[in-house]
Amino acid sequence: MTLPLSTGPHILGKRTTRGIMLDVLIALTPAAAAGVYLFGVRAAWVLGVAVASAVATEALWQRLSHRPLQVGDLSAVVTGLLLGLNLPSSAPLWLAAVGSAFAIVVVKQLFGGIGHNFLNPALAARAVLLTSWPARMTTFFLPERTLLPVASTAMVGDAVTSATPLVKSGTAMIDLFWGNIPGTIGEVCKAAILIGFIYLLVRNVIGPHIPVLFVGTVALMTWLLGGDPLTAILSGGVLLGAVFMATDYVTNPMLIVSQCLFAALCGVIVVVIRQSAGGYPEGVTYAILLMNVLTPLLDKLFKRRAYGEVKQRA
Amino acid sequence: MKKLSFRGGIHPLAKRHEGKAETSGKPIRDFVAECVCIPMDMHMGPPCKPCVQQGEHVKLGQVIGEAVGRFGIPAHASVSGVVTAVGPVQQLRAQPSLCVTIRNDFKDELAALEALGDVESAPKHRIIPAIQAAGICGMGGAGFPTHAKLRLPEGKAVDTIILNGAECETFLTCDHRLMLESPGRIVDGLRAVMRAMGVARGVIAIEDNKPDAIESMRRAAQGRDGVEVAVLKTKYPQGGEKQLVTAVTGREVPGGGLPMDARAVVINVGTAAAIADTVIEGKPLISRVTTVTGAVKDPSNLRLRVGTAFADAIKSAGGYREAPGKIFAGGSMTGTCAPDDSVSATKGTNGIVTLTEREADAAREIQCIRCGRCVMICPARIMPYRLMELYERGELNTAKQEHVKDCIQCGSCSYVCPSKRRLLPSIKSAIEQLARRRNR
Repeated sequence: MTLPLSTGPHILGKRTTRGIMLDVLIALTPAAAAGVYLFGVRAAWVLGVAVASAVATEALWQRLSHRPLQVGDLSAVVTGLLLGLNLPSSAPLWLAAVGSAFAIVVVKQLFGGIGHNFLNPALAARAVLLTSWPARMTTFFLPERTLLPVASTAMVGDAVTSATPLVKSGTAMIDLFWGNIPGTIGEVCKAAILIGFIYLLVRNVIGPHIPVLFVGTVALMTWLLGGDPLTAILSGGVLLGAVFMATDYVTNPMLIVSQCLFAALCGVIVVVIRQSAGGYPEGVTYAILLMNVLTPLLDKLFKRRAYGEVKQRA
Repeated sequence: MKKLSFRGGIHPLAKRHEGKAETSGKPIRDFVAECVCIPMDMHMGPPCKPCVQQGEHVKLGQVIGEAVGRFGIPAHASVSGVVTAVGPVQQLRAQPSLCVTIRNDFKDELAALEALGDVESAPKHRIIPAIQAAGICGMGGAGFPTHAKLRLPEGKAVDTIILNGAECETFLTCDHRLMLESPGRIVDGLRAVMRAMGVARGVIAIEDNKPDAIESMRRAAQGRDGVEVAVLKTKYPQGGEKQLVTAVTGREVPGGGLPMDARAVVINVGTAAAIADTVIEGKPLISRVTTVTGAVKDPSNLRLRVGTAFADAIKSAGGYREAPGKIFAGGSMTGTCAPDDSVSATKGTNGIVTLTEREADAAREIQCIRCGRCVMICPARIMPYRLMELYERGELNTAKQEHVKDCIQCGSCSYVCPSKRRLLPSIKSAIEQLARRRNR
């Protein structure tokens, strides 16, 4: 009898990285479903192509670079789906494919693959698409149908708006909440995002502090500057970004205290961009990307006292 | 009553009652093997020098290995019979250990030490020397010689003796059973230590997943001077020495220090019972309770003679349920792997756990996703993911600055890691390399 020798622990916890990614996918499902319901089959195509492109690109990259095939961890599916949810339903399918491929190859794999990217891949890809094809990225279809209940301000129809998805004043809160407004596929239905948020909390995938501080700071800053805080948090991608992108493990700091600062600063930057750029819609994307860049610095600046650590006298 | 605790920690095998359900209701059963193989290095510190020869007849409790140095403790024959071999045998350590093998004649002729009598009247100055002569070392696993722990260096003072009945490790129920079946002996041992050290406060600390043990110890502690029972929250590593000191006294053990630097001494409940046996009866440490569980047919709590082969203990627990994929001494968090089942149970063996081949299958390790779980739960409040990264890059000096040596090696980080990273092994290697560098 010869048995394997190893250092403990000999039995590990049940949670896996794949399981966490699966939980994120489940949490994104309500937002994706609401997007498809509101914007029709076209939205489903955009999401599908974004996911397929992300997975295929990752598999191809790992194959060509002779690395172990790791698409089974589902992280590429999450990246693809997040990017898709950040696109308007009007986006051409090639745009979704190109965006996902960029996210996977340039943002994720070139920096070492899962866990090594310093920017959120989906957001970085979205920023690149925005600067490369601004018109295509900001052409929004109105929802094909509405989610009930609905106020008179609901915007439905075949019309196209190429203006800002930050809603004109006067839109009823209820329509902002249910998603009866133009916008990207995943950001419009706040109800669906909140369901996903609750799921992530229950499954202990994330804590509440980052989304709450992010959204809370946006509300507080807007109120201080004389705006309507509720409209501010229900319009644009604040909620989607706060729940699903600012909480990305890889690109936010490791300590709770630095995560809190990260989230609050995200909120501040969103409001600053929105105020100074006259309602420029992309505050959330750039705010989170900027804070992603600052994450290594926050990790360096914030240290916690180890158990039994005695303060060194100067 | 308020449940005491510490910051951080995990709840391993929460859905399986920490792996304890199979044995927590099983009374302690005596098991005596036909042959024992007693290592000379069962304790931390210099190994014993064998003082018997092949062919010699030995009595139960006779010294077979002499103590070496001030920290050394002797080893005693755990059965009476004939010495069949004195030589190196592969045990749980990396290198073979010098061992004395005795074939049991089942006569149990006893060569007892001098008893000191009742713990409340025994001469104080003779208690610690008696503990050393009885070969007592920490029975919670580490095997630190108990007399060395109780003999404080000049200038140190202690105000609390803590008996560790937390038993936070998975699978183990030996301390639990002992607290149910011999609570009086445990309190006696505590009182002996309190008197020997001149300490007024003794706390028996037990996790709240053992309400019957709490009740049992409370009853036994009634009317005993300065003895109290503290209820701890069930959380791993609640029984870690430093965590226990913090939970009970609210003080932190300073980095690189020992519990006595926080004016406390921590002793395992099994060790306390062994101390009582020595003081009252003059019995050396020749047997202990061990939980034999996992993939065996009849998981049991056995009182084993020191030096009993794992294979014999497993046979007594009904034998293997299926072919073993792994066997370790201790619980699943910090247990030491056995190369096969021929190795001996020692003074520190609190558990013999077998896993099936499927359970023992190592999970595939992938990259860190920076989820922060290891950081959140680390009871030493260091940064496991970061220390592993530094170790892999060879940046040991940075790892040292970032308190790698404060790791208590509880393994919680490896347990929670969703990417199944070998965090504890890396940190252990970093600590070992730093120690080697210092010695050079």
